[in-house]
Amino acid sequence: MNAQNRIAAARYAAAYDGLSQTLEQAEQNAQELATATHIINDVAEVLQSPGLPAAQKKLILNEALHELPKARAFISVLIDAKRLNLLGAIYEHVQTLLEDRQGISRAIITTARVLSNAQRASAQEALSIRYGKTIQADFEVDPALLGGLTAQCNGELLDGSLKTRLEKLRQAITK
Amino acid sequence: MAIRPEEITKIIKEKIEHFDTSLDVSEVGTVIQVGDGIARVHGLSNVKASELVDFGHGVKGMALNLEYDNVGCVLMGPDTLVHEGDTVKRTGEVISIPVGKGVIGRVVSPLGKPLDGKGEIAPEKNMPLDIVAPGIIDRQPVKQPLQTGIKAIDSMVPIGKGQRELIIGDRQTGKTAIAIDAIINQKNIPQEERCICIYVAVGQKQSTVAQVVKTLTDFGAMDYTVVVSATASDPASLLYIAPYAGCAIGEYFMWQGKDVLIVYDDLSKHAQAYREMSLLLRRPPGREAYPGDVFYLHSRLLERACKLSKENGGGSLTALPIIETQANDVSAYIPTNVISITDGQIYLESNLFLSGIKPAVNVGLSVSRVGGSAQRKTMRKVAGTLRIDLSQYQELAGFAQFGSELDKESQRQIARGKRMTELLKQNQYAPLKVGEEVLVLYAGTHGYLDEIEVTDVLRYEKELLAYMHAQKQDVLDGLNAAVELTPEVENTLKGALDEFKTVFKPA
Repeated sequence: MNAQNRIAAARYAAAYDGLSQTLEQAEQNAQELATATHIINDVAEVLQSPGLPAAQKKLILNEALHELPKARAFISVLIDAKRLNLLGAIYEHVQTLLEDRQGISRAIITTARVLSNAQRASAQEALSIRYGKTIQADFEVDPALLGGLTAQCNGELLDGSLKTRLEKLRQAITK
Repeated sequence: MAIRPEEITKIIKEKIEHFDTSLDVSEVGTVIQVGDGIARVHGLSNVKASELVDFGHGVKGMALNLEYDNVGCVLMGPDTLVHEGDTVKRTGEVISIPVGKGVIGRVVSPLGKPLDGKGEIAPEKNMPLDIVAPGIIDRQPVKQPLQTGIKAIDSMVPIGKGQRELIIGDRQTGKTAIAIDAIINQKNIPQEERCICIYVAVGQKQSTVAQVVKTLTDFGAMDYTVVVSATASDPASLLYIAPYAGCAIGEYFMWQGKDVLIVYDDLSKHAQAYREMSLLLRRPPGREAYPGDVFYLHSRLLERACKLSKENGGGSLTALPIIETQANDVSAYIPTNVISITDGQIYLESNLFLSGIKPAVNVGLSVSRVGGSAQRKTMRKVAGTLRIDLSQYQELAGFAQFGSELDKESQRQIARGKRMTELLKQNQYAPLKVGEEVLVLYAGTHGYLDEIEVTDVLRYEKELLAYMHAQKQDVLDGLNAAVELTPEVENTLKGALDEFKTVFKPA
């Protein structure tokens, strides 16, 4: 996706997120958008087709999403603006904004071997103390790390892996 | 002394014991697009302009465009090693180059890596490439001459230490030759006044750079010269930083109180490399598709040429930028920019070159705005009327072509002009010492050549110099050392020329 599209997606997402005043509303709206995205996924090709007039597309929407008023209105706006192709990106962005509201930060924790549940919990705990947020971590395994772990969170990479330490040691000795 | 193994072990042990095992924290981003030497990175939200970023695989980049949701970086290495989704780390540093005495006599890349296969270079210091030029208080006026050993230049467009003198002309007019001659001539100059020379090759063929290095080596000029090379096959980003790298190396020596001569060969290609980068970064194009800040690109580089004040050690950095014109058009964008930045220009013309006048300096259009005050007094006295004589001659020569009858005075001027033009011709790689230049030009401007044929002028010069070296070395030494053309010096000079007159056999 190019820069313009990313910027546009971010703006639509911010607008949709801005509709909700409270956290409960935001959660509900995000849920609604998730369901709507899932429902129209099958007919996405038809809805994006330039051959079909916008009025007819909206008829389809009314039919499919009559239980989801906010999402239906939002997707209608996207159809008018010819931005329906950005729906996936917008949804992802709405999720991030929701997580911001909830005080949740995503993290990717990579280790050399599979962690036990207790270890996972303590790693998440350590990160949430550092960033002052609830951490929702994805755990990955990369044997190349040899030992230790790396955590990517909030645009930062915390690297405590044995691989990096050995590499630094190599540089210190050969210098 | 042999190295005892336990010593090494001990050192390594110490290093390991004191090794910092703390967590490695870095700000990261993700590559979202890469190609044409440019990468767009998502994240890195706190990165600063021109900060160095690490793409891994040994590839570094420079963050140039800080945009709404991404950072545009130029890569300092092959873009094939960087992939979409790769992690990019901030380094918190600006790009810098290792400098030190060890770099003299070497050929290095703009990142300071040796290219001549002579082993690692021990750095003394890291110098940032792009710094702000010394201010007014740090400087003093240009007042010492920088001898190029080329008669036409030392007499009519004198260059002072700390000056910026542009060498401009079409391809194949001898621009590089002038710069190389100026470097080679430093060998003729006593150690304490000699400049450390830096030759920055931007966007040239590898073969051309190899040729230059060989020439400099053959003439023994590599002993005090550094070659910074970013050739045509290197990425545009390296071509872009090459002049700044050369300048940083030069500044290191300048701040130690030394004199430095730096040649940027050439800045047209530098501007083109910057244009390539800018267009790929989607910056708006301006005139000739160059970006709007192409003037600043060159002005911030050439402003760094300077003569430091006594308090700062009195070092100097003299810049000889080279610009290649197309079809003698000096009014194109880059030539006019650089002309306006520099303290004068040496204008080389292809028709002069083709008519056998080498160096092909156009005397009328070449100027030196500050060098005059730096010129040696002996040279100034001898060359004082030279420029006027030559321009009067060129004017009259136009008339004379119509075959009209000319008065005696005009005929004399034409005769003198023809001989002076002939006298200013000079072979490549044959720079003269200042005393020799003064001697030869004195003979020309004081009528010693008027009786001999134009075709004999160069033979006269050659034989005169040989005669002086053989018989009158003391007079030459006196001229080399003389700061002013006192009556005594002038009398010995006249005496020697009169004596030579009896020896020289006209054809």
